[in-house]
Amino acid sequence: MVDKALVQKWIAETGSDASAAVPLLQAVQNEYGYLPREAMNIIVSETDISASQLFGVATFYSQFRLEPVGRHIIKVCHGTACHVSGADRINTALRQSLGIREEEEDTASNGSYTIEDVACIGCCSLAPVMVIGGETFGNLKGADAQRSLKKHARQHGEFLPGHEEEISEADAPEKKSPDKRKKEVRP
Amino acid sequence: MSVQLSKPVTIIVGEGTCGIAAGAKDVFETFRKMVPEAEIKTVGCVGMCHEEVMVEILDDKGDSRLYRKVDKKNIPSILKFHQGEGEVPVELLIRSGKDPKSVQYLARQTRIALRNVGLLDPKSLEEYRNLGGYRSIEKILNKDISPEEVTEEVRKAGLRGRGGAGFPTAVKWSFARSAQGDIKYLICNGDEGDPGAFMDRSLLEGDPHSVLEGMLIAAYAIGASYGYAYIRAEYPLAVEHFGKAIRDAREAGFLGKNILGKDFDFDVKIKQGAGAFVCGEETALIASIEGDRGMPRIRPPFPAVRGLFGKPTIINNVETLANLAWIVEKGGDAYAGIGTEQSKGTKVFALAGTIKRGGLVEVPMGMTIREVLYDIGGGSSTGRPIKAVQLGGPSGGCIPESLFDTPIEYEALNATGAIMGSGGMVVMDTRSCMVDIARYFLEFTQIESCGKCTFCRIGTLRMKELLTKICDGEGTMEDIDTLEALAHQVKTSSLCGLGQTAPNPVLTTLKYFRDEYIAHVEEKRCPAGVCKGLITHTIMKDKCTGCSICKRYCPVDAITGVIKKPGSWVIDQELCINCGMCVEVCNYEAIRVQ
Repeated sequence: MVDKALVQKWIAETGSDASAAVPLLQAVQNEYGYLPREAMNIIVSETDISASQLFGVATFYSQFRLEPVGRHIIKVCHGTACHVSGADRINTALRQSLGIREEEEDTASNGSYTIEDVACIGCCSLAPVMVIGGETFGNLKGADAQRSLKKHARQHGEFLPGHEEEISEADAPEKKSPDKRKKEVRP
Repeated sequence: MSVQLSKPVTIIVGEGTCGIAAGAKDVFETFRKMVPEAEIKTVGCVGMCHEEVMVEILDDKGDSRLYRKVDKKNIPSILKFHQGEGEVPVELLIRSGKDPKSVQYLARQTRIALRNVGLLDPKSLEEYRNLGGYRSIEKILNKDISPEEVTEEVRKAGLRGRGGAGFPTAVKWSFARSAQGDIKYLICNGDEGDPGAFMDRSLLEGDPHSVLEGMLIAAYAIGASYGYAYIRAEYPLAVEHFGKAIRDAREAGFLGKNILGKDFDFDVKIKQGAGAFVCGEETALIASIEGDRGMPRIRPPFPAVRGLFGKPTIINNVETLANLAWIVEKGGDAYAGIGTEQSKGTKVFALAGTIKRGGLVEVPMGMTIREVLYDIGGGSSTGRPIKAVQLGGPSGGCIPESLFDTPIEYEALNATGAIMGSGGMVVMDTRSCMVDIARYFLEFTQIESCGKCTFCRIGTLRMKELLTKICDGEGTMEDIDTLEALAHQVKTSSLCGLGQTAPNPVLTTLKYFRDEYIAHVEEKRCPAGVCKGLITHTIMKDKCTGCSICKRYCPVDAITGVIKKPGSWVIDQELCINCGMCVEVCNYEAIRVQ
């Protein structure tokens, strides 16, 4: 549910002329994670911004989303440095962990996480990089990304789809150091 | 667990975005717990991102030691030395003493724009003042130096726009100065959209006041009374630090009405970008601030005459602005004394990719690419030779090893087909496929094209399709010709810089790495082993131990076998998507990529 008073407060703070469109949408998205239709209707009816302008802006900029997102957003950096050091593999690995199979989907079925590709976060020397919430993870391999995701899920009380029970178990062997793992599996 | 040190110390933790990503917050907390009596400060990123987290420990005599790759685990060994026990941990020490030139990485750099980054607490106006901050704007206002004289100084300095195009800053200013208008605007362009470039982020995060002082100088020169700082929303720390700088400067009387008691008003607002690469273009950026879709318009009229809200507007890049206070203080001639005939001063580059010492470097113009890569960057990080360097992001191009002796100056770089650009320098070794790189950039510009011009909108899409076809091994020699022809058409039929430069990555790779294109088409082979349609993953029976780790990580369940039976493991080529997860996790290098 959109809180009308809250949207009105943002309008009072930001202004109601055309140039307020981007900051208002940013405020809405900060609060709800996406742009609910209801909030956009309030903006249109209470400012000088027309519906066509507002929707035009909302669909032009890559930051804005018109669909609800997961409770947490994972930003996978696809800057040049990240691309050449295997950013695609981070996506593959995360999608595997989150059970996202369809190419056009980006959110886990249980609404926990949404994967978002971003252009460049500017941490190129740590490539490849991803950001979950406010936390940045660098120098990742696919398996590292999965481990960081599991850790984040544990800390935030989330479950990865299909791993509701086994999560702590499945996690255990990977926490060991590589040396130990090597010893263990040698025939 | 707190420890007693032999001398009182100040501990300085580098907390730029890369420092934080590397764990600087944890390091900060650990020091705070272990040495509660020490003063602990944070600074921006000094640019040595490859050494993060960096910590400087300064004792009461001014004796300084800078440590690298600090984490929770090695803090005790550092503190032990400062307790007066044992030797300094050499493997963690970058330098002893204050002289930055003692560090090889910094020795060959000339730091003007980055002069304060990493040395001061970006949230402290006082520290900026202590390093000579706001003295240039004071000099201008107190000595009644006229706007024309300021512009003349910048003209003498030969400063050119650092955002990419390299237009002389003083010339641009004089257009706005002479334009008629009751109100004029100055915009700081911090919409650093080029993937692979992060100097603006580092400046806004690490030394926001020098950018703000640059804005004051520029505003004074053109007669602007309002300013906007357009900063990418992807840079939250930059927005936070710049916002604090604006508030502090306003409180100290450097912003607002009658600055320093003189007849000069100027104030600044932050506008956060919303993720559109095209907004780096001046008229698109203006449309975005006005609340519209960020689409460029035909010039003239140029923004200097008719810009934001129809008023004369100057847009300067962050790095350009960061140079101004230095130029006013030391004089235009001092700045012009650095660099070459055509390109004066210094340029900041973001060094990334397969390079040993990645990070931010500021070098005098005229230094060769080779010197930057090897003398400063330390060469390849992978042991494989460096094949090419990508300059200028999606608008730039790939320069091959044979041209690494090209000096860094606008004209010389343009002659290679690449551009100076905003300063992204991504290093690629022999495991990077040049066709894939071209496809990557085309995909980027195709998504970011605003759609106004047909050639940019459709042309880049068709180019991307052709490149994808070639990467998948389905291309023909005719496709390469079509691609080249289309590239020239997109270049000449687009309104703004985005479309005009979008084909550059394709044209430069075609020029210097045509053999790779031909290998993809005629031999159905990706020489670098990158393009998924042209490679296969197989398990080498002699190296496999049957540990099954690859099976666990395979996202498509293409790997089967019996545990501890090395000979039984195979990858089903029908199911395999060539993602490379198995290669990454295998402890025995038993997966062959062909």
